[in-house]
Amino acid sequence: MSTTSNHSANNRIGIIRTFHRFTVGQRWEHLLLMLSVIVLLLTGLPQKYRLATWSHNLLSTPERLQFVQQVHRIAAIVLTLVVIYHLANAFYLLARRNLPGDMLPTWKDIKDAWQMIKYLSFFNSKKPLFGKYNFEQKFTYWFMFFAIGIMVITGFIIWFPEFFTRLLPGGIIPATKLAHSTEAIVIGIFVFIWHVYHVHIERLNLSIFTGWLNENDMRTYHELEYHHLTGESSENPDRGESQG
Amino acid sequence: MVNHSHMRSMAAVLVSVVLISVAALLTATPARAGETTDYCLSCHGNPDLQMVLPSGESLPLYISAEALAVSVHNQVGIECNACHTEIQTYPHPDLDYQNKRELARALYQSCQKCHSDNYDKALDSMHAQVALAGNLDAPICTDCHGAHDVQDPDEPRAHVSTICGQCHTTIYEEYHASVHGDALIEQSNPDVPVCTDCHGVHNIQDPRTELFRVQSPDLCAGCHADPELMAKYNLPSNVYELYELSWHGVDVSVYKARWPTIWHDSAVCTDCHGIHNIRKTDDADSLVNEQNLLQTCQKCHPDASPNWTGAWTGHHEVSLQRTPFIFYTQAFYASFAPFVLGLSLIYVILQIIRSTVERARRGLR
Repeated sequence: MSTTSNHSANNRIGIIRTFHRFTVGQRWEHLLLMLSVIVLLLTGLPQKYRLATWSHNLLSTPERLQFVQQVHRIAAIVLTLVVIYHLANAFYLLARRNLPGDMLPTWKDIKDAWQMIKYLSFFNSKKPLFGKYNFEQKFTYWFMFFAIGIMVITGFIIWFPEFFTRLLPGGIIPATKLAHSTEAIVIGIFVFIWHVYHVHIERLNLSIFTGWLNENDMRTYHELEYHHLTGESSENPDRGESQG
Repeated sequence: MVNHSHMRSMAAVLVSVVLISVAALLTATPARAGETTDYCLSCHGNPDLQMVLPSGESLPLYISAEALAVSVHNQVGIECNACHTEIQTYPHPDLDYQNKRELARALYQSCQKCHSDNYDKALDSMHAQVALAGNLDAPICTDCHGAHDVQDPDEPRAHVSTICGQCHTTIYEEYHASVHGDALIEQSNPDVPVCTDCHGVHNIQDPRTELFRVQSPDLCAGCHADPELMAKYNLPSNVYELYELSWHGVDVSVYKARWPTIWHDSAVCTDCHGIHNIRKTDDADSLVNEQNLLQTCQKCHPDASPNWTGAWTGHHEVSLQRTPFIFYTQAFYASFAPFVLGLSLIYVILQIIRSTVERARRGLR
């Protein structure tokens, strides 16, 4: 390796090599996505559980209820703009044949998942090697992709029911209301157990905010990508959790 | 004040009263039941007896013995002077009332002597407030119950609604044509509500208030959430329960619990079904009949188009036949949510176990 490792015992000056991971646009997208989803959950839950005492206490006047609904709608517009930007950007890159395919699910993800399950149940001693995004991260992305799609579509339908029933059968209104309110809970629980574990508890991964990942994390969690970027051989005996 | 012809008959009565009194004193027999009444009727039994009030109205002073005989008071031995307390004997004290209404409003206060509970309740009523505001035609006890011919007001039950209909004529007509009114008036059905079941009896309140509106679904639920009663008419008894879960119902529940005195527009039962004109849903004149439903929705949702009524689940539980969209959505989430979240949870738990074991091994090394 060309740089000095920061955990080298006899050298106090450590240089941490960092790897670019997310563009400024992607970091902004995630920040706005995160903030709008938090606001939407916080303003949506008291509306979903309006008959509960805690909700009564929060929405203690009709004006407060209206305020919370307005905030919910503003956050919904922010989220919608993020979604539109994300899709438009993807189509733009696709049109220029410049769309990075890292996030697309591949056959390798299925194999990785199977290997990972074997590793987790102590059949394998080593984790599979991952590229830029491992299957857990792809699962997060695609789960949120469809979940937010459902939330945005159903949200607008119950925001403008008169308009949508001009085009669609009336029966979709109670169905979308149920979907919106249930999907929100599913998203909340999913982010809490899946995403929070992977980016805070398993390891603190702030790359989506900083834009970069350090060499150590890169080698530990995205070894294939690490070798792809450094041009080194992927044969590394020192990998996975067993690496210090 | 009094006609001359009646002066003469009055004088005749006076003479006979004196004679009777003297006779009574001489014989000194104990008071006989109905004695006072008989004494009064000796004059007031004359159909021609009347006087003219300063307003020019003539006040009939005739009391029909037949009407008196059916009065519940007479049947238990309550006689004239129980209510006409100012009159002890003949000659009577002068009447100091300008017109019949003033007289009625003064005399009905005798009801308080025995019926103080209902009398006080009536003072809290919408009717009393209207009177206080200057409308002296607002009903007093005797307007509904009668004066000399007081009878059980709900015998027969339809009588209650007829009494209210004396003044509330338009509403009575609407009610008469409704499913409830028809059953009551035409079929003497004892199960349907009469006016007082919803509006209260003596302390009748203004039904146009925020409070009345927000509590009105409970009035309907009184019967329509009663499984036994509804089974009798082959009606579902879960309509109120399902309403409470609906968009409208949740809103109304919150207002009822928190802001009962703040006006809200979310639909209550009567907004869609009508108030006094409630009809069977399959009646062509029903506001919620398929032909009229869109128009009813448009009262609050003016931009609603024909598809809109399909959004209404009609107080029915979710079913494949009636509400396929919500049925499939429910089925999807009932399987998808526990599946995905369950797998995610298991996966993360396995990861926690594996990494804990890994760390422990490293510690041992």
